[in-house]
Amino acid sequence: MEEIQKEEGLIMHLLEVENLTKRFGGLVAVDNVSFHVDEGEVVGLIGPNGAGKTTLFNLISGFIKPDSGTVKFKGENIVGLAPHKIVNMGIARTFQVVRPFRHLPVIANVIVSLKSPRGNRKIEWLKTPERKALDMLEDVGLTELMLEPAENVGHGDLKRLEMARALATEPDVLLLDEPFGGLNPLETDFLMKSIQRVHLDEPTRGIVIVEHKLYALMRIVKKVIVFHFGAKIAEGTPEEIAKNKKVIEVYMGEV
Amino acid sequence: MVTTYLRRAYTSFLAHVVDIPPRLLALLLFLILLVFPVTNPTFSFMLLLSLANLSAIFAASWDLQVGRTGLMSLGHALFFGIGGYGAAMLIVFWGFPSWAAIASSALIGALAALAIGYPCLRVKGPYLSLVTMALPLIATGVVFYFKDVTGGEKGLFGWPRLFPFLPYAQQFLAEYYFTLLLLFACGIALYKTANSGTGIVFISILDDEVASKACGINTTRYKLMSFSISAFFATLAGAVWVHLLSAANISLLTLTTSFLPIIATIWGGIGTIYGPIAAAYILQVLDRYVLNEVFPIETHWHMIIFLVVVIIVIIFWGRGLARFVTDKLDDLSEERNLDERGPHIWKKYKKKKA
Amino acid sequence: MINGAMTSGTLALLALGFTLIYGVADVVNMSHGALYMLGAYLFFVFTTIFPIDLLLAFVLAVVLTGIIGATIYRLAIHPVVDDLLASLVITVGVTIIIQELTIISFGSYRRPVPSFAQGFLTLAGVKVPNATFLAFVVSLILFGGLWTFLAKVKIGKAMRAVAQDHEVAMLMGINTERLYMLTMGISATLAALAGVLITASTTRLAYPHMWDTPLYLSFSIVILGGLGSVKGTLVGALIVGYAEEIFVTLSSLYLPGGGFLKGVVAMAIMMTVLILRPKGLFGKRIEMEE
Repeated sequence: MEEIQKEEGLIMHLLEVENLTKRFGGLVAVDNVSFHVDEGEVVGLIGPNGAGKTTLFNLISGFIKPDSGTVKFKGENIVGLAPHKIVNMGIARTFQVVRPFRHLPVIANVIVSLKSPRGNRKIEWLKTPERKALDMLEDVGLTELMLEPAENVGHGDLKRLEMARALATEPDVLLLDEPFGGLNPLETDFLMKSIQRVHLDEPTRGIVIVEHKLYALMRIVKKVIVFHFGAKIAEGTPEEIAKNKKVIEVYMGEV
Repeated sequence: MVTTYLRRAYTSFLAHVVDIPPRLLALLLFLILLVFPVTNPTFSFMLLLSLANLSAIFAASWDLQVGRTGLMSLGHALFFGIGGYGAAMLIVFWGFPSWAAIASSALIGALAALAIGYPCLRVKGPYLSLVTMALPLIATGVVFYFKDVTGGEKGLFGWPRLFPFLPYAQQFLAEYYFTLLLLFACGIALYKTANSGTGIVFISILDDEVASKACGINTTRYKLMSFSISAFFATLAGAVWVHLLSAANISLLTLTTSFLPIIATIWGGIGTIYGPIAAAYILQVLDRYVLNEVFPIETHWHMIIFLVVVIIVIIFWGRGLARFVTDKLDDLSEERNLDERGPHIWKKYKKKKA
Repeated sequence: MINGAMTSGTLALLALGFTLIYGVADVVNMSHGALYMLGAYLFFVFTTIFPIDLLLAFVLAVVLTGIIGATIYRLAIHPVVDDLLASLVITVGVTIIIQELTIISFGSYRRPVPSFAQGFLTLAGVKVPNATFLAFVVSLILFGGLWTFLAKVKIGKAMRAVAQDHEVAMLMGINTERLYMLTMGISATLAALAGVLITASTTRLAYPHMWDTPLYLSFSIVILGGLGSVKGTLVGALIVGYAEEIFVTLSSLYLPGGGFLKGVVAMAIMMTVLILRPKGLFGKRIEMEE
């Protein structure tokens, strides 16, 4: 049914990646990948290291151009657009290795996002940028550190800052690249709850999470896509994937 | 009614100036400079100070570019030269009155920056530095080639000073106050820009351009903006400069000229805006007075001494170039004090915490 | 045509010095042109002020510059070797210092530099000054010598190792500090070599602002050929050498009085390349900056 509807162009996915391929020299980082994310879906991307997941994010967010394939956002092909344009269309991302603005205080980090055309537009006219930024920091629990220069802030808090900064652009699709990386169990738990709250606050928003910490990821996503050597090898619910033989083989030794 | 206003202004003054030590110091220095002419200095000394004022504007403009946006341009003299030669040519060949020439050159400078910046700013890191270093040299070549228009090696000269209607003695005084006020205005303008919302975006580009793009910022546009604003003030300084000296020649475009703001910035603290202003001042006074008349040393040694100091500063406090920026940003965090924009919000938050 | 090849040889030597210190120590040495100038001036000093045998003067000038280069490295560059911005400022500062010292010592006007050899010889129907030819030959020999050094001699191989991966080299016990100093010394020697060779044969003049053209030439050659690549340097040198030659010939025909624009060629090439390809022609095509 879905196939027929798709052929007739009736279904438009929020984000649709079609036959995306990227090579670096002789290495195929992303191998003919296709998947889609619908409104309100929380999708997890998993796979061993080097499976091309971050490259995929880079391709979607416009920092790298693919060799072939398309990325459609709300039906429009966004391949080739500049990264900041893509952000202003509604796709925001975080980075695997945090990239805070070291010299700016935490709150100013978020204000930068609010200075973008999209972040600026979305400010309800009674609220100042500082108020809006403060709200975002409250959502991730960083208000106490708001005036602290980002370079003095600990890793766990920086991870949350990354997310706050991305959220400040009010994206329709949020790409989180290993948000739980380097977090202790307490921080992981808090972040899980934050992501769930983010999902509930904005039910039409699509969230794609690349993550290695499967016990955290599997609990918050509805759909899981598994990658290996740049290619998609499985797709399904967390329960299905956990039982998938191919996936288990690929992950032998990893939890 | 009036008293409430005055009281509010007073509290604001306390909060914004007195509580922040560097600003207080700057204000004090400004006041000293304001009353300085009472000591009846010589004309040449007043001229020196006027030139110093302009040099400070030049240095501060570069600081905005480098210290706040990360555009390490080694050819800032280009804009100084555009200002100087631009104003000169407008007066000599098109008969512009002085003030119009100055204003027009500044605008030309800003526009030229957009045109030049568009291709050049695409280039990153050391390459940008090299490309910008080459620009004044190309300009020098152009100046020599079009000798008839630019006066070649001798340069252009012979236009009236800024206040020709005043008696000779008073002219230097007038120029002094004019440049001092100009410095104050430009300094504040640059400082406010650096600490505005736009300034925050500039710093984001300095810190991590990729992340800035990921926040939806069109970094190219902001870089051009920074470059252009910086060029505007530099050109302005150059245009007034040639009026104080009644001459425009290639000394405006040398590498040494490009390097003056660099020296001032490193001495004064990169990114602070007011640091380079003070340092540029000291630099000019040292160069033209102290090392000329108090302890006479041959001119070419001046630069060598300054540069050795720069090298020493970088080597020993180089890591602290970043520290200067951080110090400056402590000011920033204090300024972006939420009390300014929403005192109620701050109180509400404090209550929530309790 | 032949002249183009002649100049390319020496230019390759010059650019090699520049790319060497970058490849090994990641230092963009803006004072490379100043070292070229230093070599030329020292040659001038040794031949004019203390008249010594030309050959001895040559060797002395070059070696002395090499030592000075290494010292500059140790004192001013090594402390900031990992900070690109700082090393840029410092090396430009060094350039200005050298320039001012030169003005103080010798004045800002041009100084004549004696030539190696008089007379001309004919190569493939083109008259080539003996001196230029000699410079070319010397350059080739030295270039080849350096190539062998990097390939076969232990220290040379160490340099290549460090150029590839600093940390691994350090772990393997290579004293990077001393190696960098040595590399800088060689780099400065190469610059000085080019300085003497070119000024003693072609331009016959020394003046305090002559450091800019060599710097831009080095940069453009190296950018054309790829930073850190010896082969690329050779290719780049050929391209730039010929381009300059062509431009000079053309300009003397069409732009009278435009001779001084010669240095602009190097800059123009470099700027065009950089603007069109912000990472250089053969540079790594990293699309997303790290």
